[in-house]
Amino acid sequence: MLVARLRFMLGRGLKRKLSDYEENMAGLSSAFDSSRNLPYSLKRQLVLNMCLTKLQTYKMVVEPNLHRSVLIANTVRQIQEEMRQESSQQPVNVCNGIAPNPLSYPGIDSSGISLHLPSGSNQQESNGCNSWSAEGPIENSLLMVSDDDMSSAISSILKDLDFMEDISPPTSLVPAGDDEPKSPESTCLKLEDDRQDLKGAECVFGSFEISNSTSYLKDLAIDDIFEDIDTSMYDSDFCVPPLMTPRPPSSATEETLKTFPSCNSSSANNIPICRTDLSELDHIMEILVGS
Amino acid sequence: MKCFSRYLPYIFRPPNTILSCSCHTEADIISTVEFNHTGELLATGDKGGRVVIFQREQESKNQPHRRGEYNVYSTFQSHEPEFDYLKSLEIEEKINKIRWLPQQNAAYFLLSTNDKTVKLWKVSERDKRPEGYNLKDEDGRLRDPSMITMLRVPVLRPMDLMVEATPRRVFANAHTYHINSISVNSDYETYMSADDLRINLWNFEITNQSFNIVDIKPANMEELTEVITAAEFHPHHCNTFVYSSSKGTIRLCDMRASALCDRHSKFFEEPEDPSNRSFFSEIISSISDVKFSHSGRYIMTRDYLTVKVWDLNMENRPIETYQVHDYLRSKLCSLYENDCIFDKFECVWNGSDSVIMTGSYNNFFRMFDRNTKRDVTLEASRENSKPRAILKPRKVCVGGKRRKDEISVDSLDFSKKILHTAWHPSENIIAVAATNNLYIFQDKVN
Repeated sequence: MLVARLRFMLGRGLKRKLSDYEENMAGLSSAFDSSRNLPYSLKRQLVLNMCLTKLQTYKMVVEPNLHRSVLIANTVRQIQEEMRQESSQQPVNVCNGIAPNPLSYPGIDSSGISLHLPSGSNQQESNGCNSWSAEGPIENSLLMVSDDDMSSAISSILKDLDFMEDISPPTSLVPAGDDEPKSPESTCLKLEDDRQDLKGAECVFGSFEISNSTSYLKDLAIDDIFEDIDTSMYDSDFCVPPLMTPRPPSSATEETLKTFPSCNSSSANNIPICRTDLSELDHIMEILVGS
Repeated sequence: MKCFSRYLPYIFRPPNTILSCSCHTEADIISTVEFNHTGELLATGDKGGRVVIFQREQESKNQPHRRGEYNVYSTFQSHEPEFDYLKSLEIEEKINKIRWLPQQNAAYFLLSTNDKTVKLWKVSERDKRPEGYNLKDEDGRLRDPSMITMLRVPVLRPMDLMVEATPRRVFANAHTYHINSISVNSDYETYMSADDLRINLWNFEITNQSFNIVDIKPANMEELTEVITAAEFHPHHCNTFVYSSSKGTIRLCDMRASALCDRHSKFFEEPEDPSNRSFFSEIISSISDVKFSHSGRYIMTRDYLTVKVWDLNMENRPIETYQVHDYLRSKLCSLYENDCIFDKFECVWNGSDSVIMTGSYNNFFRMFDRNTKRDVTLEASRENSKPRAILKPRKVCVGGKRRKDEISVDSLDFSKKILHTAWHPSENIIAVAATNNLYIFQDKVN
């Protein structure tokens, strides 16, 4: 879609590209290089999208290149700063829209992920985008990235780069808490981050999918999911405290629990943890006893 | 077509053979090139962790026109791929840098490094072997003592030359991030290794300890905005070194000032040209290589589009700036998209510090004469490198009509990049690494 509109903007002469992501990006970047008529804001948005795509690709690699990640993160920050300054000069607020799902870039078949925008943000988008509407159809179709999204995207990249356990030589002091290896739970689901803007933070790097799926789960009856699990052991008032290190009461746990509104036990916080722990303990006991 | 001998005081011609592997695999890509201090030896490291050392032929009276050519002297596997089980990371065996030590006895010593480990290698020759042992025969089998009737003294007899490389020291486990530079100090007792965030000082004799002399890692990694890209010791002052950053700055540090050189003695930075500002300004300002001149008076830095020469006594701007391939300035978005903008080109001085050289794309490399301000573009390719032929200067046509023999910017092959070059310390001999091929060009005789 975006490429079609871009062609409209640039007029004739732009070669027809295959609907392949990489070729489209190459087409866009060569359009960036060759055309002098592209509006500055569009160029900036293209660069920003490329940066975020690269950062997302790096996140999937086990050991991303630190040098490149820092350079790209700085570019994103620079663009973010520019947009912030522009918005502070504008009378209306810049759109605080939903971050682009990276897979919805032009050319990619996004049938796997559908972008459901909650109705509230649509309102925001139409109200706040007055400054952009003059540019043409492209800006409205390009999804805006909010400041928080970008900051948290950069933060998450750099935090991940620090997950390696630091081997410092004895002469230098290592600041406390600096070099803890990243705990497994925080690596995967971004829901467990303690960022303020939960709505936007995870969106940039594909966990938008997760928000969708939790709403899906709300529709199911909880009892249906668990009806084949033997819960006779757990139907007592005494709740075994969690055997693992208790997770700090975070928004994560509350978020997870929102999807299970009808928990059986009185101690709602501990039940999901208890069940897993007890079954694990059981399993271990069986192995030890050799039964 | 002008002969470029008018621009530069010498002409290069290729040798009889181009040194390369017959089969081109990923592991054969040359990743570093370095002459030793006399220029007699030339070492190359590749992505497969191998080091190949070439030695210059002695000039013979029989063939005076055939000035010393380089032949393979020794090949050895320096680094193997490793797996860090703790972090679940694979450590590449690619040789990032090789640095020679000055020769102090009959053997040669060099440092080679991959991302994590530095090794000291001893390369020595053996051309004699003892013969005539009493207790064992020539095959090495023990002789029956009752059969020995007389005593003899073993003698050394000449044998075919054997060159053996042995690892003498392994300096490991000191770098969390990837090592990008190593530099031997002028005291010949210490050297430094630099990764993205830290620089360590080593003594050659001690492998289980190193001093951390620079640490730019912030307490909170989210605040990280700058990394170390290259570092080098001053050629004469063993207390001075420089390191460059991804923000286009160079810091000169004096180790006498404090144990941890986080505070620089000098800070070299050129103010940004507002007319050239773009989204990619910071990325292209990242310095990929820094080299002291042989005199120790200047430093040269390479960023994506330019080479700059700085006077150590002037921090606010370079004294010379050379455009390597300015025609790429209008292609930065495409080059960013295909990651070419992150390519790390190296730069070298010639022996007298009068000419500097660096690589480009399409197997082109560039030379700049600092005195005459002339420059030339040459190509390292098989087609252009007939033996005894003179290298023809190349030209990139930016726009408009393309003349014959010119190549347009859009036809450049960005997969053929010359990142690594080396210049003989005293003669006009250059080594150019083009992917998996090594080209050695020599000055024309007479």
